[in-house]
Amino acid sequence: MEPQVRIRRWPWVVIALSLAVAFTLSMISPADSVQGDLVRIMYVHVPSAWLAYTAFFVTFVGSVAYLVTKNLKWDRIAAASAEIGVYFTGLALSLGMIWAKPTWGVWWTWDARLTFTFIMFFVYLGYLALRRTTDDPIARASRSSVLGVLGAIQIPLVHFSVVWWRTLHQPPSLIKPDGPAIQDPLMLTALIIGVIAFTVVYVALMVKRIELIHLDERRLQIEQSIERPVAGEAVTAPELGAT
Amino acid sequence: MITGFWHQVRAVVDRDLLRERRQGDMLWITIPFGAIALLLIPLAIGTDAVLLREIGPGMYWVIVMLFGVLVAVSRASRETLPQQDASALLGLDPAAGFVGRTVSSAIFLLIFEAVVGIVAIGLYDISIIGIGWLALTLLLVAAGLALLGTLTAAIVNSSSAGTALVPLLVAPLSVPLLLGATQTYDGLQGGYGILSWVLLMVAVVLVVAIIGVLTARPLQET
Amino acid sequence: MSEWGWVAFAYGVAYGSLAVYATSIAIRIRNARKSIGDAE
Repeated sequence: MEPQVRIRRWPWVVIALSLAVAFTLSMISPADSVQGDLVRIMYVHVPSAWLAYTAFFVTFVGSVAYLVTKNLKWDRIAAASAEIGVYFTGLALSLGMIWAKPTWGVWWTWDARLTFTFIMFFVYLGYLALRRTTDDPIARASRSSVLGVLGAIQIPLVHFSVVWWRTLHQPPSLIKPDGPAIQDPLMLTALIIGVIAFTVVYVALMVKRIELIHLDERRLQIEQSIERPVAGEAVTAPELGAT
Repeated sequence: MITGFWHQVRAVVDRDLLRERRQGDMLWITIPFGAIALLLIPLAIGTDAVLLREIGPGMYWVIVMLFGVLVAVSRASRETLPQQDASALLGLDPAAGFVGRTVSSAIFLLIFEAVVGIVAIGLYDISIIGIGWLALTLLLVAAGLALLGTLTAAIVNSSSAGTALVPLLVAPLSVPLLLGATQTYDGLQGGYGILSWVLLMVAVVLVVAIIGVLTARPLQET
Repeated sequence: MSEWGWVAFAYGVAYGSLAVYATSIAIRIRNARKSIGDAE
């Protein structure tokens, strides 16, 4: 029997507390002179984008570590981080679009960073889909870690290609104001605390998500060990010669 | 018993080409389907000759990209577990298997590119400048797509739902190839430097080739 | 929509989706524990 999976409660408390602090700071910080109150969207958008990249980097590290050590612990880290990363990528994209609509007048522009992030989103969506196709922990771990490595190594190339594509030949289609210029120390604090708070949330979510992977593996183990009725069991051999 | 890395590669390529000669699903299904796709686009967006000349090259590369995925899908559905076990028992080096499958996919893709390319030139009146560079681009795209497809097929197989997953995995990772190919074409037309795009495609081919060869054994073991 | 309207929209999406995601993990954990408990 494997040891019981430890269930921790502190991550929930930590998530609630750090979000409360981040939220309060982003509300009391002053409005930007150019962007007005819209700058507040940056205090959630920037941390989400930062976590999107960080989470996928952790997936890469976990995948490499699994391929080298064959220890399933690393695969669990890679898997948990990929799911949380996909969530934060989706969030960063949505928040970016919500910010762009009132600022630039459109939901989407073919900006290099936007396009690249969107492609990255699909790469890891594929990673998650791949993990769903098999239950066997070992096969799943080695297959998805190869994809984790391939994705992470291809991503810089995707990034270069998209950046060059936007910068070489095509003139920008919109005149865009730059991101927020930090004028007030409170604004910088709100941004930094936002990044720290979201990172803490990421760590707490990781703890819970890895816990869930352990529980799922445990559940699968138990399910496979239970003896199930087999078709034909009710049929008994005819008693020959019992006359 | 087959010995020697390149002999094994050769054997795998021969097997794939033989299967294609017998079944012909690349030649008789995928290529006509690609040509039909080129025919459908003007029906949907209009037949203005200037517009078609402008979008033709881009459409051609998108179709090469999307149909390149089909080669990988059929690859993934063919490489079944019993077949892999048989290859392993015969002593086939997994890396040689990977290289061989890639080479045969690349050959199919080059044929696809050539035939569909001729259709595209005819239908869209595409102009050709710098034929040497274009040939190199076709070769790099075929190699890159074949590598990505073969590696992805190896990653997903042994799982029944895996085959359906191949397009989702290959498409985003092939973005550098798509951009490299379209920008090289534009660069040749407009007389810009294209070296950085060619090098980018070379980098993709090298990176995926290295990962594919290095991970061939761990992937086969599970 | 006013600037504050957009801000409220963005924060609703951010904090709302975080809450949904965290809850989904919590529910999945509870279900998994329940099914293990049932089996043991």
